[in-house]
Amino acid sequence: MGGKPSRAKFWFLLHSWLAMPIWAFVFFVCLTGTLATVSQEINWLVDPAFRANKPSATAQSIGFDGALAALHRAEPAADVQWMMQTEDYFAIQARATYPDASSATLYVNPYSGAIQGRAPEVTLRSFLRALHGWLLVPFKGGTSIGWYLVSALSIPLLGSLITGLIVYKKFWRGFFKFRIRFSQGARVAWGDFHRLAGVWSLWFVGVIAITAFWLLIQAVMWTARVSISTAGPPVMVAREEVPIVQPGQAIPRVSMAQSMEAARQALPEGFHPTFVGTQANAYSHVRVWGRSGSWPLLYESASVNPYTGAVEDSRKLSDRSKLELVTESMRPLHAGDFGGLAVKLIWAFFGALLSLMVFSGMLIWTKRTAQASAALLKKRERLASAAVVLQQEGGQ
Amino acid sequence: MNAWIDASPWRRAWLRWRFHLCLLILLVPVCFFSASMHEQRLDSGQQGIGMRELPVKAIGPWSVRLAEKTLMAPTADGAAGHVKPFVAAFCQDCVPQIRAAYLRIGKPRNLRAAGALFYGSLYRTEAYLVVPPTLKQADQIWLTVEGWDGSVHQTSWPLAEASPVLLDWFKQQGKIE
Repeated sequence: MGGKPSRAKFWFLLHSWLAMPIWAFVFFVCLTGTLATVSQEINWLVDPAFRANKPSATAQSIGFDGALAALHRAEPAADVQWMMQTEDYFAIQARATYPDASSATLYVNPYSGAIQGRAPEVTLRSFLRALHGWLLVPFKGGTSIGWYLVSALSIPLLGSLITGLIVYKKFWRGFFKFRIRFSQGARVAWGDFHRLAGVWSLWFVGVIAITAFWLLIQAVMWTARVSISTAGPPVMVAREEVPIVQPGQAIPRVSMAQSMEAARQALPEGFHPTFVGTQANAYSHVRVWGRSGSWPLLYESASVNPYTGAVEDSRKLSDRSKLELVTESMRPLHAGDFGGLAVKLIWAFFGALLSLMVFSGMLIWTKRTAQASAALLKKRERLASAAVVLQQEGGQ
Repeated sequence: MNAWIDASPWRRAWLRWRFHLCLLILLVPVCFFSASMHEQRLDSGQQGIGMRELPVKAIGPWSVRLAEKTLMAPTADGAAGHVKPFVAAFCQDCVPQIRAAYLRIGKPRNLRAAGALFYGSLYRTEAYLVVPPTLKQADQIWLTVEGWDGSVHQTSWPLAEASPVLLDWFKQQGKIE
């Protein structure tokens, strides 16, 4: 080990040191992040109530209005705040509040209107998000130390990516070298895996590291209370448009389907509404949310006057600044939440690969060090015993 | 590598296991687990409507429970100045009759100046009370409720009753006239 370490050696050591001292933390964050990408699909697997099973092959969706009517028949006192159906294989979720002031999210079958179950108070999705995103450390004044700890990992992750490319000379030749040498011991096999998985997930590690770095910047902005939002203050329904309704009479409001159709008309082609928020008081609008047709990473929304059915405010792609388009795309890009199940599964696969790379990196390091020190120990012992022999033979 | 060989057993153990000490970071989510669960459950109203709830009070033909959402002092909120969240829960029969509720420090002169509007289901609805720069001795917290039939009803609580934290905050700032 004498002499000047070569440049390659330096990059190699840097590559090892970037993650090695914190490998368990990085591994934990990668693993929980992987699970978080498919948390709703896991929920779909474990909880039949969350599935949108068709009662018959020809069954038609009853829509939010049908589901709301069915919900009110089953639970007349329930007051519904929003309804959501993000994928057609998920049940409609309806958030309701009850006379005892408790709230629950109900799973409603989109074909029969049956209330199939209730979401737990803390869903798998929100739990995994909190565990992955801020280690469950509560927010105080917009800041969670956990958020900083996790998002700061973007720096060693990006560092590992860059130093890995420098260390792995001519990495572009590695794409089709599907060679993992199992016969030469665990260290060699893990090393082959580490390199192969590394080149194939270059793009993914880059995406995750850069988007996570943005999440770090975002935390700094929250702490410093800096906002780049161009969204204006919320618009209210004009007082004179709110009807006077005598007790016992129904409040004349447009249906959810009418609100969604009004939003579709007002927003650019391809808008796909998946979320409707009911009025939060007599002066607030019904809010319709959905993915943009042209850039599905972002949501567009429209505020519908529930008494007239007119769209009185909206938030379109074109209302956002370029900076907002980029920064608002970061979270969905990080989570793989923009292209349905296929993208989620790709993110989960590469997330698992990344977790395994962290783990294999740690194994390679420990095995190499252990082997090298064992070898050195043997050599030293031999030398030492030889020295003793020499001393004895050489005489005093 | 020589360090490994010459080292005492303790040092050797340290060199061997030091990189696994980062496993200890997993204690962070373990420690915060129950606090985090409690915080997430607050949103479901299962732990009561707020952190400090007042007794039921009549307001016109209706009745309401008011609560401080948190026991924290007011927080700065940009142009609005300082705000403090409150929660109101109206009786089951009155909910279909109410179209809006407002909260303000000091008696509102008219409905347009009735204060912060409540948002969310009237079974458990929230408003961010805007805290004025100074407090007059006689000022109370006023709840204004507007019915769908156009009727308006009001009630009020002394600050000492509705939010001792807020009163203390005014005292500390020396902003009581």
